[in-house]
Amino acid sequence: MIKKTWKTNVLIACMLLPALILALGIILVPMINVFIQSFQDGSGNFSLEQYYFLFTDKLALQNLWYTVWITVVTVAGAITISYLLALYLRFSDSKISKVISTVYLLPRFVPHLVAIYAMMTVVRDSGFLNRLSQVFGYNFKPGLLYNAKGIIMMNLWFNIAFATMIIVAALAGIPDSIIESSRDVGAGRIYTFFKMVLPLSIKDVLVAMTFIFMSNISSFTTPYIIGPNHPKMFGVYLRDQFSKMRYERAAAVSVLIFAFSSISAIVYLYTNLKEKEWEKTGL
Amino acid sequence: MYMSYLNPKRWVHMMGRKKFGEFLVLAAFMLFFYGPLLHMFMLAFANKYEMPGVLPQEFGFQWWRYVLAQPTLVSSIVLSFTIALITTALSLLICIPAAYVLARYEFPGRKLVMFSFLLGNAFPKIGIYASMGIIFYRIGLMGTLPGVLIVHLLGGMMLMIWMPTNAFKSVPRQQEEAARDIGAGPIRTFFYVTLPMAWPGIAVASMFTFIGSLGENQGTLLVGLPNYRTMPVEMYGVILDYPATAGAVFALILLIPNVLLLFLMRKYVGPETLSKGFKMG
Repeated sequence: MIKKTWKTNVLIACMLLPALILALGIILVPMINVFIQSFQDGSGNFSLEQYYFLFTDKLALQNLWYTVWITVVTVAGAITISYLLALYLRFSDSKISKVISTVYLLPRFVPHLVAIYAMMTVVRDSGFLNRLSQVFGYNFKPGLLYNAKGIIMMNLWFNIAFATMIIVAALAGIPDSIIESSRDVGAGRIYTFFKMVLPLSIKDVLVAMTFIFMSNISSFTTPYIIGPNHPKMFGVYLRDQFSKMRYERAAAVSVLIFAFSSISAIVYLYTNLKEKEWEKTGL
Repeated sequence: MYMSYLNPKRWVHMMGRKKFGEFLVLAAFMLFFYGPLLHMFMLAFANKYEMPGVLPQEFGFQWWRYVLAQPTLVSSIVLSFTIALITTALSLLICIPAAYVLARYEFPGRKLVMFSFLLGNAFPKIGIYASMGIIFYRIGLMGTLPGVLIVHLLGGMMLMIWMPTNAFKSVPRQQEEAARDIGAGPIRTFFYVTLPMAWPGIAVASMFTFIGSLGENQGTLLVGLPNYRTMPVEMYGVILDYPATAGAVFALILLIPNVLLLFLMRKYVGPETLSKGFKMG
């Protein structure tokens, strides 16, 4: 650490303050406002009625489970596919694996609306797949719009690149020598995977899971455009409530999403701190 | 005779089982991720695309002329780029000094500061925007440029702090000390030693801020209307109201800058650099 005098302390404060003030102003203050508002009734008195409504109203409950279900399926699907893809990219030297490793990142750079639009032109009833099937005398309608399947498909489209990237970086950090030495003493592929590769990359898998969970449980654009009218994902439901000027209920929906996301944020923090302790004892 | 090429067994035989499997992975990957984009690319250059043609009946630039003749769409393109440039510049100015401090100094509450950016990400953006909207109404920022800029700054903030912090951390302190020892001042040291070495992380973070701002739609929809209609805001209308061929043109215009940036920055954009944006330093 660089030695601190009062001068450097002032300098530190000056460099840090703009970002901190901005973060407080545009993240923390709105968050606290929303939190307070969620415990109010329509006229500003303390009340639990917003939460009571969300946990008893039939439609709201359906929306809640629908949101959690889609998010869990998205996380599980994206992580499974990405892990397999990352393993392949890490341990294969073939030309095809090199091609994939140069092109797999692109979806991360495609604006959400553009990707959704492009997918719609392929899978909608008059889209490419339908037209192609007509050439062969069928009338195939994928039925991937305005239901959960479509949302999950789009979520996978957006998140596989991200999760693969995180896991590829983790697997790249595992030296070949570790794997070779394990294989040398006669360990099989599966044993090597579960005893070496998986434990060494599990932390990064959790990082990927955290971010996929967070961005999908509150996702708005995808379910807004290609989701069904009912049940609705919480992001869309939240905006509905907001545009119907039920600000308190919108606030409660926000806090509920935040509560779910916080669980994954805390898991993230926990694994992150544990790593630091391990580093300390390692020294 | 030629039909037998359609028989997968023949391919398995020719390529070997493993190669064939790899080939299937590549094909599935390309069809799922690149298929829709290529299809959209094709639509953008279709003058006539009527049912049930798989390929357009006529190619040309008709819909480009149509889109570029819509004054609202053209002004949204200019506006989007202006806002994205200002957002990136502001974000650099605000976040880079903070990232440097967070990378170099240990102080009480440092972890909390880092974690608070993650928590900001855990809170649904729409919830924050909605609440910001209420504050903006009160202080008159609704439908103004500063209001839109604040929304755009929020979107990229975590990455703009975390990624440069990790980039600064990977610059060996000894390098900086060596420069100081031979008489370079702190500012000179920063610009000639630290910055060049941390540059990839900072460049990639700026790129994501720029791209994020170009693609931001939820917040702008809530805070910017009716004065600030950026490209993605217009895109909602285009999806609903325009023919697929015109929509494809507009979507392609939205996509081009991102692909261009990815191409220009390909040297820096690797999983190692990118994944640092998601680790609390």
